[in-house]
Order: sequence, then structure tokens, then C-alpha cells
Amino acid sequence: MTLFRPGVRAAPAPSCHGDGPAAAVVSGAPVVALAGAPNAGKSTLFNGLTGGSRVVGNWPGTTVEVGRGSWQLGVDDGAVQILDLPGAYGLDGASPDEALIRDLFTGGDLGPVPDLTVVVADAAHLTRSLYLAAELREAPQRLVVALTMVDVAARRGVTVDPGRLATALGVPVVVLDPRRREGREALARAVADSLVAPLPAARVAGPVDDPTDELAVADERFAWLDAVLGAGAVTEAPVGRTVTDRVDRWVTAPVVGPLLFLAVMWAVFQATTTLAAPLQDALGGLVSGPVTAAGRGLLGLIGLGGTWVAGLLLDGLVAGVGMLLTFVPLMAIMFALLALLEDSGYLARAALVTDRVMRSIGLPGRAFLPLVVGFGCNVPAISATRILPDARHRVMTALLVPFTSCSARLTVYVLVASTFFPQVAGTVVFGMYLTSILFVVGVGLLLRRTLWRAVGPEPLVLDMPAYQRPTLQLVAAVTWVRLRGFLRTAGGIVVATVTLVWLLQAVPVHGGAAFGQVPPEESLFAALARAIAPVFSPAGFGEWHTAGALVVGFVAKEAVLTSWAQTYAAADPTAGLAPDQLQAHVHAAFGLSSGGAVTAAALAFLVFLLAYTPCVATVAIQRREIGLRWTLFGIALQLTVAWTVAVAVFQLGRLIA
Amino acid sequence: MPAASEDLRCLASLPPGACGVLDLAGVPPTHRLRLAQLGLRAGARVTVLGRTAGGGRLVGSGTTRVGLDAGTSRRLALAVDGGIS
Repeated sequence: MTLFRPGVRAAPAPSCHGDGPAAAVVSGAPVVALAGAPNAGKSTLFNGLTGGSRVVGNWPGTTVEVGRGSWQLGVDDGAVQILDLPGAYGLDGASPDEALIRDLFTGGDLGPVPDLTVVVADAAHLTRSLYLAAELREAPQRLVVALTMVDVAARRGVTVDPGRLATALGVPVVVLDPRRREGREALARAVADSLVAPLPAARVAGPVDDPTDELAVADERFAWLDAVLGAGAVTEAPVGRTVTDRVDRWVTAPVVGPLLFLAVMWAVFQATTTLAAPLQDALGGLVSGPVTAAGRGLLGLIGLGGTWVAGLLLDGLVAGVGMLLTFVPLMAIMFALLALLEDSGYLARAALVTDRVMRSIGLPGRAFLPLVVGFGCNVPAISATRILPDARHRVMTALLVPFTSCSARLTVYVLVASTFFPQVAGTVVFGMYLTSILFVVGVGLLLRRTLWRAVGPEPLVLDMPAYQRPTLQLVAAVTWVRLRGFLRTAGGIVVATVTLVWLLQAVPVHGGAAFGQVPPEESLFAALARAIAPVFSPAGFGEWHTAGALVVGFVAKEAVLTSWAQTYAAADPTAGLAPDQLQAHVHAAFGLSSGGAVTAAALAFLVFLLAYTPCVATVAIQRREIGLRWTLFGIALQLTVAWTVAVAVFQLGRLIA
Repeated sequence: MPAASEDLRCLASLPPGACGVLDLAGVPPTHRLRLAQLGLRAGARVTVLGRTAGGGRLVGSGTTRVGLDAGTSRRLALAVDGGIS
């Protein structure tokens, strides 16, 4: 039997630090959907089946878009197209990601109903996990139930008999462990067999007094599920207080919970900066030493030494991109630590702990989840606003996400903090994340008291997954996906920006200098930057190198570093390459522009960097999610807030100093 | 349904350790289904596991653990039959 029909369609990957592509999609092959309640393990299973790299985490709402890939069922069975759907408890959800599921299964705009649906069900929570299966069974369609987290269920006194459950449900049931990649062959066999079996008959629902009463219909489904689970398929021992319960008593407690949250985040950034520092220095030395020397020697050998080509390659790409690459260890450590938190289940608790803060700005606690994603990358965070049912909450959250400090900004914080505050760099970086939270709350309050006065509160009802020991494989996979995104940005948009900056630096504004031979301060780049610099003078950093870097940083925040590295490297061949030499130049520039109030200017610069428009990718995704009008409003809001607060910080700081 | 002798109390007023039978009469119908899908159905046996920052409650029912904000906790009631000293 062969289900395979060749033909390839690539899967899009909209995020800069997010999902990677799965295996190419086989067009014409049967379509198998992975559906189920949030946090049941669908994306982990999808990655295991397709070799894809969707971001996964132990908290509800990780997936908000449909992932597509190809799954080879077996040697004789060919391949199927596989869809990874956002989590949904049923077909009646109000948020856009849940509406997407409803459209798919009711034959809406998304195309035909899948040929088969694998309902991924958490064995520890079978009633909620199988509610979607109960709904889908009301139409004649092929289903397979994949039971996950059987080990967690067993620890909680729940044992499942898959054979009896299959008989009671009327569909095949397979036990698997997506995190440890066990049970995939049995699932493939069940899917292959079901695809060639006759279409099963629909479940005949029991009598309901009023079929238009959603609650009455839901009660009938729950009653059916109770009967299914009570038919000997599941045995439940009384549940006592678990380890998770004992930990949660403190982790979510009124005073201890928020303090613990702050302590955890401080530890993450302190560990990141401390552990990365020696690795960063070593990489910086490698780039500024052997790599640059080898490049210079090689260019000299082929007769290009001292030419504009050497300028572009050494002062541009090696200085700019090389400087950025020294931050790879730092990013890897931070991504790994955040992945540990995600996989452990802590983030759902963080959402509960921050509910009061969210509520104070008119947002539900669930809005914390996209906002926390923003601390990694703003692009998937704005997509993640789809978990919010209310359109006004989605727009407001999407406007607040750019104020969450993404990992790209971290690279600049570390350089500036270690330049101006070398003894307390880690604490300054942590302070930037606290400032980011203050910006979210402050701007949220501003919006709530002006444009969003009519928005009412929304209840927070959040599933708390059991804590689990993070697996090395999953943490490594998530870290690599995000690090690859960082490297992709460095290799794509940052290389393009570096090249553009170099071109602008190569063009003289006065006669007498040839292309590529002009001193940086007499270049077109410097002339443009000087025209903008006065805007930043009230904030203490109205100097052309800094102003130019901030303008370039509109493309991507990493480009602030590369711009600095390039402009200083072009002026002084020994500078801009080794981090300490670059730091000396940056320090001198701030001293000049601030009239000696260097600390105040550095803090103002950090605040501006945090609050102004993160990158063009964020602007693009905002336009897709909330439209052009709100996107333009958001840019104006970010620039106004960033400039106003930066000026206030500098002026106050100067007075205090 | 809770027995007449049982004490129907607002969930937000209950300390950790309190347990009883869930009453959803005060919950708007639009939110009842979501609660039910998470395992908090009318008549379910629920234990208060903790207070949360912001005045909400962390509750357990069987193997389910759900975090509730203060407003939702005020709308839910338990026919308390144990756990309160």
C-alpha cells in the first residue's frame, strides 16, 4: 500500500527566533491533523514525526499557528501530510487559534476536513483531553487517539487500559511518549490501517432537551465520556497532595510567588552574563586576532590589500558580524535557561503570579504568556496574542509586546553595561528587564485610561501542568531552534545592514576622496547621522556614531553593535574589533555628548534602546496581526515613549550627579 | 447538588485545605463551559490548594489543577464538607 504522491511545498517560518521548517510537505498525500487540548504534547510529537523544530514548552498556548510537515509512516505505507494544530479543548473556542480549529473541522476557508485526526490526549486528564474527540465523533470521520503522559497519570494514580478505552470510544487508541520518542511506530501503524479502513459511523448523541443550548449539549458529551471512562478503561486512585501541589503552595503564594518570580529572572540574567563573559572574551580575541590577520593576509596575497574590497570585508563584515557572533555563547546560555523554565512547567505559574499586574492594565492573566514570549523574540509573541479571545485585548497586547525586552537587545545591554557599569553589569541587565516590565505596565495603564477605557476584565482560568524534569534533548532542541534564528538574523538581515552601512560610509560627501577611501567622519553615513544626532542631544547621546547606530538598529537591534563596530573599525584599524577597544570608543563618545554626565547618558541610551521600535520583522508581524493603522500608531507610541523617558532619565540623572 | 446541611461558601473566602462540592450557579454560562472543559464541572469535588498573588485560588479536582483569578474565585462556590478548622 502506498499513500505517497510526490510534489513538494515548503512550510513558511514567520519568526526570526521561532519555529524552524519541518520536512517538506508532500502535496496530494492524505492529510493527518494533530489536534487536542493545549499542552498535550502535539508539537513535540510533530517534531518527532517530521524532524521539524517547532518551539515547544510545558505551558498552554505555545502553538498558535498551523505547522505543516511530511510524515513517513513506514517502508510500505508511504508518507502523509501532517498538520500540527493549536491546542483546543473543543470546537467552540472564541480565540482566533481555536476558531481556526473549528474552521478546519467544519470545512471552512482552510480547505477540506483532514482525512484523519490524531487526537493527542493527556492520560492524566482524560475527560478534558477527550472532549474534542467526543465532538469529532459526532461526524463520520477517522480518528486515532494518542495517549501521552501515561507516566504522569500513573504517578497520580490513574491507570488506563488502552484496549478497553478503544472499544468504548470506537476508535484506535495508541500509547506514546513524544518527549522520549517512544510509540511512534504503533501510531504509524494505527494511522496507516485507519486510512484504508471504511469510514467509521458517527456517534449518535444522547437526547438533549434543547439542542441549541451549548451547556446542555456539552453535558451530554461529558456524560458520554464519563460512561466511556467508567467502562473499566480507567481506574483512578484517590489523589492526595502531590509534590507539584506542595511546590505550588509557595510558588503561587501572594508574597513569595512574585518575589520568587523576580529572583528566578534575576538568576537567569546573572548566570547568563557571568557564564558567558569568558567565552565572549575568547571569541572576541579570536575574531580580532587570528581571523582578522588571516583575512588581511589572504587579501594581501591576492592583491586586494588596502582596497575597498578589504574595507568591506574587514571593516564591515568581519568587524560587524564578527562582533555580533561573540554574543553566541551568551544567547545560547540564556535560551537554554529559559527553555529549562518552559519545559519544567514554571511559566504557567508565572502567568498566575502576574495576573494582578496584567489586570491592573486591563489585560487578562493569559496576556502574560505572549508577553513572556516577547522576552525571547517579539515576532512570535505578537502571533501568540491569538490565544486571547477579545480583539481589543489582542490589539493592546500586540502594542505592548515591543516593550518586552527581546534577546536581540540583550547583546547591546551587555556591551553598554560592561562598558559603563563593569562591576554590576549583570544587575544592570536585570534592571533593564525590570524596566521593560515597568514600560509594559506604564504604557498599558496609559492605553487603558485613554483608548481602552471600555475594555472589561476577562476571567483567568488557567490549567497548571504538573512540574516535570526537563529533558536534555528537548532543552537542547529549543535552544538550537532559537540560536539558529539568531544566527540566521546575523547571516541575513544583519549582513545586508552591515553592507549598506559600509556603502554609506564609503561614499564621500565632499570632493577629494575616492569611493571606499573616505574617513568615516566625512562619509555620507556620518552626514546623515549628524543630521539626526541633535534629536538625541537632550538625552545625552546626540553624537553621530550613536545616532547612526540607533537608526540602523531600527532594522534589527543586533545592528546597533555592528554599526558601532564598523564605524570605529573604519576610523581606527585596531579598534572596533576587540570588545574592550570598542568599549573605549563608545565610552569616549558618550563622554563627549553628555558633557561629562556619562552614567546618566548611558542609562538614557539603554532606556531608549529598550523602548524604541524593535525591528522591521516586528513591524511586519504587527501589520499582519493588527493592521497598518495600529502598527503606525504603535511605532509613534514607541518612539514617543522612548525619547521622552530617555530625556527624563538623562536630565534627572545629570541633576542628581 | 450540595446537600442542605452542607455549608455553601464563596471559593475566594476559603483557605487552603478546604474541600467540597463545586457550585457554578454564579458563573456566567459563557464561562461555565471553559471551566467544565478544564474539569471544574458543577458537582465536582474540589480542594483549595492555595491562595495566589492577586487574591485568586489554586484548586484541584481529581488530577486537574487550575489557577483562578480573584473575580472567578468569587463567582464559584463550594458546598464545604471538610478541611476548614
